[in-house]
Amino acid sequence: MAVLATQPLLKIENLRTYFYARSKHSFIRAVDGVSLEVGHSETVGVVGESGSGKSIAAMSVMGLISNGPGVIGGSIRFTGRRVQRDLLEGLDKFVNVKERHGRVMVVNKDEAGWQKASERQMKNLRGKEIAMIFQNPRASLNPYITVGEQLTEAVQLHTLYKTRKEASDRALYWLEQVKIDSPRLRFNSYPADLSGGMCQRAMIAMALSSEPALLIADEPTTGLDATIQSKIVNLLEELKSETGISTLLISHDISVISRLADRVAVMYGGAVVEYGQSKLVLGEDASIKHPYTAALLASVPSEQQIRDKASLQTIEGDVLDTINVPAGCRFYARCNQITPEINEKCASHHPELREISPGHQVRCWRFSN
Amino acid sequence: MTSIPLRAIAYTLIKELMLTFLLLLGVSFIIFAILYAAPGDQFNILLEGQLPTEAARAGIRDAMGVAQSWYGQYFSWLLGVLSGNFGTSVRTGLPVAGELINVSLNTLYLTLGSMVVTLLFAIPVALYSCVRGHVVAVGWSLTMLGYIISALPVFWLGYIAIYISIHVFGIFPLVSMGNPSQSNAWLSTLVPILVLGLGSGTLSEVIRSLREELSRVMAEDYVRTARAKGASVWRHAFKEGMLIPVTEIIAAKIPFILGGAVIVEQIFNWPGMGRMAWQAAQDRDFSVIMGITLVAATFVRLGSLLQRIICTAVNPHQANE
Repeated sequence: MAVLATQPLLKIENLRTYFYARSKHSFIRAVDGVSLEVGHSETVGVVGESGSGKSIAAMSVMGLISNGPGVIGGSIRFTGRRVQRDLLEGLDKFVNVKERHGRVMVVNKDEAGWQKASERQMKNLRGKEIAMIFQNPRASLNPYITVGEQLTEAVQLHTLYKTRKEASDRALYWLEQVKIDSPRLRFNSYPADLSGGMCQRAMIAMALSSEPALLIADEPTTGLDATIQSKIVNLLEELKSETGISTLLISHDISVISRLADRVAVMYGGAVVEYGQSKLVLGEDASIKHPYTAALLASVPSEQQIRDKASLQTIEGDVLDTINVPAGCRFYARCNQITPEINEKCASHHPELREISPGHQVRCWRFSN
Repeated sequence: MTSIPLRAIAYTLIKELMLTFLLLLGVSFIIFAILYAAPGDQFNILLEGQLPTEAARAGIRDAMGVAQSWYGQYFSWLLGVLSGNFGTSVRTGLPVAGELINVSLNTLYLTLGSMVVTLLFAIPVALYSCVRGHVVAVGWSLTMLGYIISALPVFWLGYIAIYISIHVFGIFPLVSMGNPSQSNAWLSTLVPILVLGLGSGTLSEVIRSLREELSRVMAEDYVRTARAKGASVWRHAFKEGMLIPVTEIIAAKIPFILGGAVIVEQIFNWPGMGRMAWQAAQDRDFSVIMGITLVAATFVRLGSLLQRIICTAVNPHQANE
């Protein structure tokens, strides 16, 4: 128990997930040295534009990456009540990475060996200790099996409710917990008969039915109607206070993140550029933020701006393509806060994540002294 | 498991059976029209060696009570079939119905057996190249083998198989179905089944479509969900990735396999529908040809009926669409 008190539930360190772009003969550095922590009963939001690597990071934690080379390094330490384990422990022997000047040049990975060992490592963990919900809930449920059957399967797999009757009762209980209307009717429906919002509720029920320690929510509201979105967020908020489940919430929607998250990590170009308390990172004060976070927040229109029909503020330039990663700061090309004193450093050296106040880290040369 | 949606299945069954009836009616009419329009008729065979004078023909027709007009002939045949009488063969003078049951069972054995052979080869190859996509060498060479076998003409493959089984294994694979004196008679029936199963030209196509369906389904979001919840991926991918494609293939390939069976039955002297149809076509033996056509059409329909029912059982939604 002493371990539990000191260790966060999930500690990701220097995670690297690469893909190989065959046509360009180079790596896509989708996740490039991400470190994150999710404490017990804490919700950590990961925010960033599409292509910043946030979903890939979540998939890497779940061991769901199937394209090569995939996860090539790092550690993912899980410290639950029942299981304490490094999810990538002993997997490094399947990967041989050759680096030059701190950049990965060659990766030799024994995919089959890695997958096999990873599956062994994830056993009793995936679905049981760490559950995941996805965007596009309708496609995420098996269209050939009734919703109730899919929930019952999860209950039977991971809890002590082993008989069919007990398990289906428990599944129904969870459908009621997520406030789906007429749960008995939905229990025997196929996913095609349910709306997107109901499907996401069913997904949440399925994820929670095994009473996991950690819930990974990968864009849980994307692709739903705006009203349904806020209902799902309300539900997640209620479940968070009721069950005290730890959540890793991934979203590009800052309003969702700011409502649910205790701490926030901002990702850009496969790396975390800012990490800290939600109210600091998403707060008003732009002077203690990474320029990217500031620009991201500025691009969300305030109610006043909507009323005035003011044109939306955008971030200049395109999302960093993670194939040709620059030597300097990854946000250099789009940054509007470069001063002449730090320009040289910004262009040539990748800044470290630096603590600017207790628990608030920023990856920017502006805070180097 | 999920309960089987009986109502949806019954609905599909009734719909399909009605369609089948209409289809068989249409098929019988078209075949009759073709036979009627084709030169020569069945009475030639009876008058073989004699001078086929018009008077002699007319005499035979009258003696056998055959209607003069084409529609008269068709409807008398149709009425007979509806009451279970498929007519008599001109050549043998025996009722067609009994003969039909025998030969169609033989052909069913041949076609179903060859289907099993095709699937036994195709499913493992498709599974392997889908799951172990990165071990290219094995999957690729197995797939290529499938292509090469499919490209071999079935009649050639048949003769090679006969040659090899006689000279290497010492068995004589020309049919001994009605000959129970040989203790391992069933063994020699395996040779034509293997030839038809591997050589009917469908093998490579079956491998390709199975592999593609399976790969597509394995990339579906719901299969990822299954992995994320720690459930068996196969349990979730089986219905869409294996069951439905396999039944679709069976339904789609029955006509081709029946076509291949005609050749294989000739080569191996297999007493099936194909050989009988060939013989009957030579003799212009109308009632036999009509009977065989009906049975063949029924087989094809049964294949798609099976497919529809499995689709409905798996996903009751499709019944309502």
